[in-house]
Amino acid sequence: MSRLTKVDDLIDSRLMARLDRLDVISRKIFTGKIQGERRSRRRGQSVEFADFRNYSHGDDLRFVDWNIYARLDRLFLKLFLEEEDLSMVIAIDMSQSMDGGTPNKFDYARRLAMALGYIGLVNNNRVSLFGFGAERIERLTGMRGRRRTREMGQWILSRTAEGTEGFSDAMRTIALGGQGRGVLLILSDFLYPDGYEKGLAYVAGRGFDVFALQLLAPEEMDPARHGVAGDLRLIDSETGKETEVTASTSVLTQYRASLETYVAGLRDFSVRRSITHQVVETSLDLETLLLDYLRRRGLLA
Amino acid sequence: MTQTSLLAVAWLAPVAATILGLTTIPPLLALYFLRLRRTRRVIPSTMMWKRATQDLRANAPFQRLRFSWLLLLQLIALAMLILAIAQPQIDLGESSASRVVFLIDRSGSMNAKDAPADLTRLEEAKRLASDRLRSLHGGGLFAGPSPSVMVVAFAKDAQVLCPFTDNLAQAIEAVNAIQSTDETTTLTDAFELARAFTTVTNPDEQKASIADPPSYELFSDGRIADLDRTTLRGGERVVFHSIGKPTTANVGIAAVAAARTPDRPDEVQVFARVVNWQPQPYAGDLEVVVDGRLRAVTPKPVDVPGAQDNDLLAVRLPGETQVVFPSLALPQGGVIEVRLATHDALVADDRAAVVASPPEALRIALVGRGSFVMKSLLEGMPLKLLEVFSLDDWNGRLRDDPYAPDAFDVIVLDDAMPESIARGRYLIFHALPIGVGISSYGTKEFATPSSIRDEHPLLRYVNLDDLFVTSMTAVAAGGETDVIVEASEGPMILTLNRGPLSFVYVTFDPMESDWPFQRGFVNFFANSIAWLAAGGTAVAVEPLIPGDVAKARLPAGAKDATMLLPNGKSVAIASQDPSSISWGPLRSSGIYRINWTAPISSGGSGPSSIAYAVNMNSSVEGRADAATEVKFATERIAGVNTGASTDSSAWPWLLLIALAVLCLEWWVWLRRV
Repeated sequence: MSRLTKVDDLIDSRLMARLDRLDVISRKIFTGKIQGERRSRRRGQSVEFADFRNYSHGDDLRFVDWNIYARLDRLFLKLFLEEEDLSMVIAIDMSQSMDGGTPNKFDYARRLAMALGYIGLVNNNRVSLFGFGAERIERLTGMRGRRRTREMGQWILSRTAEGTEGFSDAMRTIALGGQGRGVLLILSDFLYPDGYEKGLAYVAGRGFDVFALQLLAPEEMDPARHGVAGDLRLIDSETGKETEVTASTSVLTQYRASLETYVAGLRDFSVRRSITHQVVETSLDLETLLLDYLRRRGLLA
Repeated sequence: MTQTSLLAVAWLAPVAATILGLTTIPPLLALYFLRLRRTRRVIPSTMMWKRATQDLRANAPFQRLRFSWLLLLQLIALAMLILAIAQPQIDLGESSASRVVFLIDRSGSMNAKDAPADLTRLEEAKRLASDRLRSLHGGGLFAGPSPSVMVVAFAKDAQVLCPFTDNLAQAIEAVNAIQSTDETTTLTDAFELARAFTTVTNPDEQKASIADPPSYELFSDGRIADLDRTTLRGGERVVFHSIGKPTTANVGIAAVAAARTPDRPDEVQVFARVVNWQPQPYAGDLEVVVDGRLRAVTPKPVDVPGAQDNDLLAVRLPGETQVVFPSLALPQGGVIEVRLATHDALVADDRAAVVASPPEALRIALVGRGSFVMKSLLEGMPLKLLEVFSLDDWNGRLRDDPYAPDAFDVIVLDDAMPESIARGRYLIFHALPIGVGISSYGTKEFATPSSIRDEHPLLRYVNLDDLFVTSMTAVAAGGETDVIVEASEGPMILTLNRGPLSFVYVTFDPMESDWPFQRGFVNFFANSIAWLAAGGTAVAVEPLIPGDVAKARLPAGAKDATMLLPNGKSVAIASQDPSSISWGPLRSSGIYRINWTAPISSGGSGPSSIAYAVNMNSSVEGRADAATEVKFATERIAGVNTGASTDSSAWPWLLLIALAVLCLEWWVWLRRV
C-alpha cells in the first residue's frame, strides 16, 4: 500500500458514511466542560430532575422550588441532570518502531486515529489528538464538530514516525494536561524497551476510560509465515542496534512464545487497571476493526 | 620422487598437502567461528527477537562452533582436495608396468625371526611376494592386463629363479624355492641381472636401450650394503616392501680368532669381537665350545656399548667389545666356536667359529758338524723333514736362494755359523751369531749357571743344577736379546726375536759339558724346537664368510668325498680331480666338513676330514632393525608394509568425491537460502 498523502487516504467517504452511525461510549460518566449530548452525573440545567438540596445564599433563585416553600416554608433548590460532552483523547505512538511492517503500523495508526476522531467529531465530542515520541509531544486539542474533520486529517497526515519512544512522558502529560475526563485511546505497538507499565499507570489512575490498542504488523505476529528465515542481522529501526539471529524453527517457535508472553503480560497489566487491551494486526481491515472488534469491546456503539 | 608411507598408503606429495591443509582448514573453521555473513533486515523492534533467541553470543566476535551441515560438507570437500594434492598411491591390485621384477632379499639379516606368526623375514617376504603375484594375476575391478613377472633372489650375488613368465604357478614356485643364506646383501647385481633381461640392442643405435622399463617389487628389510651405489634408470619404478620390524635389536659376534701362546705352544688363546647394533648397551655371557664341548665361559657378563647413529654419514656405528678368553689346552686342534649365551632374533651371528689346525710335523735342517747327539735327538722327533747340511752346502743354498730358511721350521746350527742369518728360526749351539749385535770377548772355562729363569718355556722340565761347562764363549748381548740362563762369566742361553729372525743361542758347546748326559738336555732341545717352530703364530685358518667356496687338496687316491653341511646333511662331492676340489658357495654360516676315504696305499687307514668355519659377517649384516625406506644413490623410496601395494594414483577419485560433495553442499545451501 502506498503511503498516505492526503486526507482522503486516511478515510474515504464510504467509511465515513458507515461511521456516521457510530458513537463513542464510555463505561464511565464524565464531567464535561460544556453541555454535550450525553448524561452526566453532574447536576446541571437539563430538564431531567435529579434531586433537591437546601438553598444557600447566592443560589440561582430560578431553581427554587416554590411549591415546597409554600408547603414547608423552607427554601429548597431543585437540581437537574446536566447533559455534558465527552472528551476523546487519541494518543498516537510516533516512534520509529511504528514505521514498519506491511501494512505499515504507523499508517494504520493514523487511519485508525482519523476514523476514531471522526466518530468523536460527528458526535460532538471533544476530540484531542496527541502524537508522542522521544522528548516530543505534539497535540491538537479541543476539536468539536464535523467541520473540524479536515483540520484533524491534515494534522494527522503531517505526523511522522521517527526517533525513539517517549511513552511514559507522553502519558504523564496527557494525565496532567487537563483534557477533561473521557476516553483515552492509545495507538501503539507497546514495544517499549523501558516498559509500558509506568506510562499506563499514569493514565490508569486519572479517570480515563483507557483503550490500549496494540498494533502489530503481520511479520511481527508470525515471522515464519512472512519470509523471515535464514541467518539474519536484524536492525532495530528505532535504536539502530543489531541483533544476529539464525531463524531456525526452534528460534521462531521461541519468538512466538515470547511475543505471546509479552502480550499476555500487557493484557494482565491492563485488566488489573481497568484498561481495555486489544491486539490489532495491521492486516486487519479497518472497517472490520471499527465495526466489529471495537464494538464488541464496547468502545463504539 | 620421495614417497612417504602412512596408513599403508604411499603419498607422493605429503608436504604440499600438509601446507594446503594448514592454510585452508583453520581459516574455514575460523569463518564458522566468526560471525556468519547474515542478511541485513530492518525491523520495527528487535526486542522480541532478543528475548526469543537470547543470542548474546552474536555480540561477541567469536561464537561456539555449532554443528552445521554446510561446514561438514565443506570440510569433507576440502579434505578430499587436500588428499588429492598429496597424491596418495593406493593398492588397487594392478600394475601399470607390463613387466614386473620381484627382487627378494635372502641375505643373512632376512633370517631374523621378527615377522608375524614367528616367521623369519625371508619366509614373510616369500609369503607377501606370493600374495603379490596372485594379486597381479587376480583380476578384479581395477585390474589391468597381467604383467610378466621375473623372480630374482639376491644376497651376495643375484640369481634369476624365474625368467619373465606369465605363468603364475611357475613364479610362485620360484619364490617358494628361495633358500635362506647368511650372505651379505648387494642389490646392484640384481638390478644389472634384471636389466639384462629387459635391455634390447638396436643395431641401428650405438648403445643398448631399455625397452619398456620394468617395475621392481623389492622385498627386503632394507639393510643393503650397496644402496648408495645403486641408481635407477629412467622409467624404472621400485616398490619397496619393508619386511621386518624397525625395532628389532641384534648383538652378534663379528670376528673370532685363535692363536697359540708363545710361552705354551700347546695352548690356544681365543679372541672374539662382539658388536651391538641396538642403541641400548648389552651385557651377556660368551661361551667357548671346542668340538662340541663347552670349554669356557666368560667369568662375568661382557659389556658392549650401544650403537650410535652418525647423522652426518647417515650410518649406524655398532658398539664393539673385544673379548680375550683364557688359554685353552688344544694340542691337537679342533673347531673352536664362540657363542652368545643368549639368542636374539638373528641367530646366525650369535656364534662364530674358527678351525684350529692340528700341529703339523716340523721341517728341520741340521747345519754344521752333524754331531751324533743332535742328529739322534732330531731323528727321534716326529718330524716331517730332516735335512742335514754342511756349512758350505748351506751357504751355497743361501747364496742361491736368500729365502731358503723359509723352507724349514727350525734350523739347528751345530757349532756352525752361516754367512747370513737375516731370516729364519735358529737353534744355535756355540757359534757366535753374526750381524745381530752380539759380540764375543773371549772364552771362559769351568762355568756353571748362576741365574736360571725356570719359568721360561725353554726350561720346562729342564734341571740345570748339575750343568757344568768346561768352556763357553763370553758374549755381550744387546738390548734385543733375552737372557734365559746366565753364569758368572756371562750369558749361557739367550734368545732373540726380531722381525723374520728368531733364535735360541747356547753359548757353549754341549759336547764340552755334561749336559748331553742329562735328561734336561733332551727336554731343552725339544722345547726349543717347539718354541721356535710355533712361537706366537696363529693356529687357525681364516674362517670363511657366507658365499665363499671351500677348496681342498685331498691326498692322491682319496675317494668318496662328501660335504657335511651345518644342518647335518651330507652331500657327495663330484669332482674329476680329487686332489683339487672346490665346493660352494657356502651360503649359510656354520661348520662345513669335507670327509673322504684315504687310500690304503698312502698309509691312511680310514676317513679323514677337513673342517671349514663359515661365519656371518655381523659387522655388515648384523644390523637387524628393518629400514622403512631405501635410499638409493639418487632417490629415496618409502616402504610399504603390505605385500600387495601397486601404488595406483587415487587422486582422480578424490577429486570426483570432492566435486560431488561440493554439489551436495551447494544444494544444501540453496535449500537453506
